[in-house]
Amino acid sequence: MFSRKLSQNHRQNPSRLGYSAGAAGFRRPDLPGHPLLNARQRVVLYTAIAGVYLLGIFLWGLLLRPEAYAVHYAHKFMPPGVTHLFGADFMGRDMLCRCVKGLANSLVIGLTAALISSGIGVILGVSAALTGGLYDKLVLLGVDCCMGLPHLVLLILISFMLGRGARGVMLGIALTHWPELTRLIRAEVLQLREALFTRAAAKMGKTGFQIAREHILPHIFPVYIVGLVLLFPHAIMHEAAITFLGFGLPAETPAIGVILSEAMGHLATGKWWLALFPGLMLAAAVILFDVIGENLKSLLNPISGNE
Amino acid sequence: MKKLNWQKLIAMLLISTFASLCLAGCGGGGPGGGSSAGPDPSAAAGAGVAPDESAAPDPGAAGPSSIVAYVGTTIFDSGLDPIKGAMSYGYPFTNAALLKVAPASTYGGDLAVAWTVSDDGLVYTFDLREGVRFSDGSALTAEDVVFTYETVRERQAENESADLTRLAAVRALGDYRVEFTLAEPFSPFLDTAAILGIAPSDAYDSETFDHYPIGAGPWRILQYDANQQIIAAANPYYYDKAPAIDRVTLVYMDNDAALAAARSGQLDVVMVSPNYATETVSGMRLLPLETMDVRLVSLPTQRSLERDGQATGNDVTADSHVRQALAIGIDRETIIQNAFNGVGRPATGFTGNLIWAGGLVYEDNRKAEAAALLESAGWIDEDGDGYREKDGVACEFDLLAAEDRYGLAAALAEDAAALGIKINPQAASWGDIAARMNSAGVVWGWGQYSPTVVRSLFDSRGAFSGGFDNVVGYTNPRVDELIDQALAQVSQEAAVAAWKQAQAIADQDYPYLYIVNIEHCYFVSDRLDISLDTQIPHPHGHGSPIICNMKDWTLK
Repeated sequence: MFSRKLSQNHRQNPSRLGYSAGAAGFRRPDLPGHPLLNARQRVVLYTAIAGVYLLGIFLWGLLLRPEAYAVHYAHKFMPPGVTHLFGADFMGRDMLCRCVKGLANSLVIGLTAALISSGIGVILGVSAALTGGLYDKLVLLGVDCCMGLPHLVLLILISFMLGRGARGVMLGIALTHWPELTRLIRAEVLQLREALFTRAAAKMGKTGFQIAREHILPHIFPVYIVGLVLLFPHAIMHEAAITFLGFGLPAETPAIGVILSEAMGHLATGKWWLALFPGLMLAAAVILFDVIGENLKSLLNPISGNE
Repeated sequence: MKKLNWQKLIAMLLISTFASLCLAGCGGGGPGGGSSAGPDPSAAAGAGVAPDESAAPDPGAAGPSSIVAYVGTTIFDSGLDPIKGAMSYGYPFTNAALLKVAPASTYGGDLAVAWTVSDDGLVYTFDLREGVRFSDGSALTAEDVVFTYETVRERQAENESADLTRLAAVRALGDYRVEFTLAEPFSPFLDTAAILGIAPSDAYDSETFDHYPIGAGPWRILQYDANQQIIAAANPYYYDKAPAIDRVTLVYMDNDAALAAARSGQLDVVMVSPNYATETVSGMRLLPLETMDVRLVSLPTQRSLERDGQATGNDVTADSHVRQALAIGIDRETIIQNAFNGVGRPATGFTGNLIWAGGLVYEDNRKAEAAALLESAGWIDEDGDGYREKDGVACEFDLLAAEDRYGLAAALAEDAAALGIKINPQAASWGDIAARMNSAGVVWGWGQYSPTVVRSLFDSRGAFSGGFDNVVGYTNPRVDELIDQALAQVSQEAAVAAWKQAQAIADQDYPYLYIVNIEHCYFVSDRLDISLDTQIPHPHGHGSPIICNMKDWTLK
């Protein structure tokens, strides 16, 4: 947690930290003409903007009443304009509201799936590294098996087996996205296990569980948070992909995958707005999550956090 | 560092946008996803030279008159082997049957010139046309007919369209007469005679016939590329007038790719969904063709009850007042306008182009009358949410729709809301439908020449059987009796009368909500005449029925 302390220091008194960093021989862009905000502030700002945008979409979508994207045949295929900012589809439904609702649905599924998946990752990663032996080998085998299969195939199988719908997609994504994080955390814990302070704790008679809770978990927390955030774009993309292929959410729920597959049939007749705006919104959400994840990584990492 | 990040960001944005557009543009695309369809139809269209000219020497000779058509993909779904139930719609393609459907939906002779039925309805005798040859030049005789029927009966499991379970014996009486003996009277046997194409006894090969059947129909297959294209040429030995067009290439592609291909002038016939009915293609005209295909919604007639682990019945639709209110209250014209761009005709029963159709005919959009009917039955909107309730039960049911029928389900739900009936349209796979069809509404499509559909819909003995028969659980002893009578009739007229009566009685209980008699839309090139006079009303399966009279098509 020393990185957290440093970051607080930094925010409270940037000049002092700058000075000490300078004294330690670091190069600093402290010269005339340097940007208004320093790197850390900029990172925080971007993260905040991305966060506000995504949170806004999420809340808007959750609070949106179904009437907002109800069938309205008089507005069939209305191009983007004042009445419908993103146009209307083949049943005259407002595309903006459907996109927002769809993205919010994706976020809910993504959040749940990412939480479950990262939870599995942490539990398996920490326990495998601390236990070692056969159990460790088994976990690694599981990781290899899961990573060896194409994500989408496994996802389709699991989702189909669980009867599709939101539950199928959610569990499908949750059960396929843990291997990377497991591997990462296991490696991290292996390193920590050899650290002096954990070995000292062990010598002082702490149990394996106590060591895991008091020494290891706080250290892998930043890794976990970054992993969680970076799981999001994957989860959302995969949710949209299997829904697009017809193995995910049913066609009557507003979801980006559904919207895009419906739009497919109307592209040949020039209804470009049916695919463009939902595609852009999906792309924006995915990129913004990536921005947040990358920024968090650089903030939470003790070395890049001070650049 | 920051600069790099921005570049990365912009690159990612571009890639993602491109990827999502690609996803929307060509997802689900089969081998012919591109606009020019895998095998490049223009090659075959241009000079009329097929790729395998040498491989298949054809006396029909590829002249300049060839066309390229997209008639949907159903023709590619199963093989072309008549023994396995291919092309079983009552019109000949590669293999001709004993009978065929005439433009007025009555049966006429094809390979048979005359037929008689014995007084007990058990013996059918067909006199064959003499001098008919298969596309390999061999003569078609009674022996081939016997072979075909016996093979199908032995391998009935492979053929679901020709039901020969009642056939006791078939034998040849000389070269040109065949006698069928049935185990019990079965008046729809003539339908079977019209859908089962005859295969040659000597040349039949279960493997090659899937793609290269030999038959006595007007066409033979030059080249078959699974899920890509079928190239057919005129059968030089066809007994009737030879087709005016020498060569037809049926291509496999997506609906939207087909429209794009039509716009670039590569296709002469393009099946389109009603979604595209408002489009225009230069050099082509849009033809909505008459069908016998109706879309109807099954409304479970019994109260909910679990039978053998399967939910059956529905407490809302079990009330006949609800079913009747829907039938007379919905506005079919508006629904068709909303769901199908106005393509299709309102239907309150099976279509008049079927000789055995005899449902009720009534005015719809009688909203006030329907509301009164619901109120008299106790369905009243007490909580003011716009939908009715009765004894705490909301007037609401789920409506399952497969594939492209979701639009119709949604349009119906929209219109039924005005009656205070809440219909929840749900897109479902056929697997989902099979699991819930006995307890929820389902959008069905029925359209066939055989009146056995009446038995499928109304016979109480088929209820909850697990198949798609009588999913509503309709039970009426009088209707069962009439169905038995119809099946046992010797004369076609008496059978038709019984079928009509059975429908008239059953439809008074409104177990099915008929909505629309759809029309099959095609863009047809201005240079091509598809002989509208000899088109038969299309049976179920949008796409291939347009080729029913392809031998009469001419190029200008």
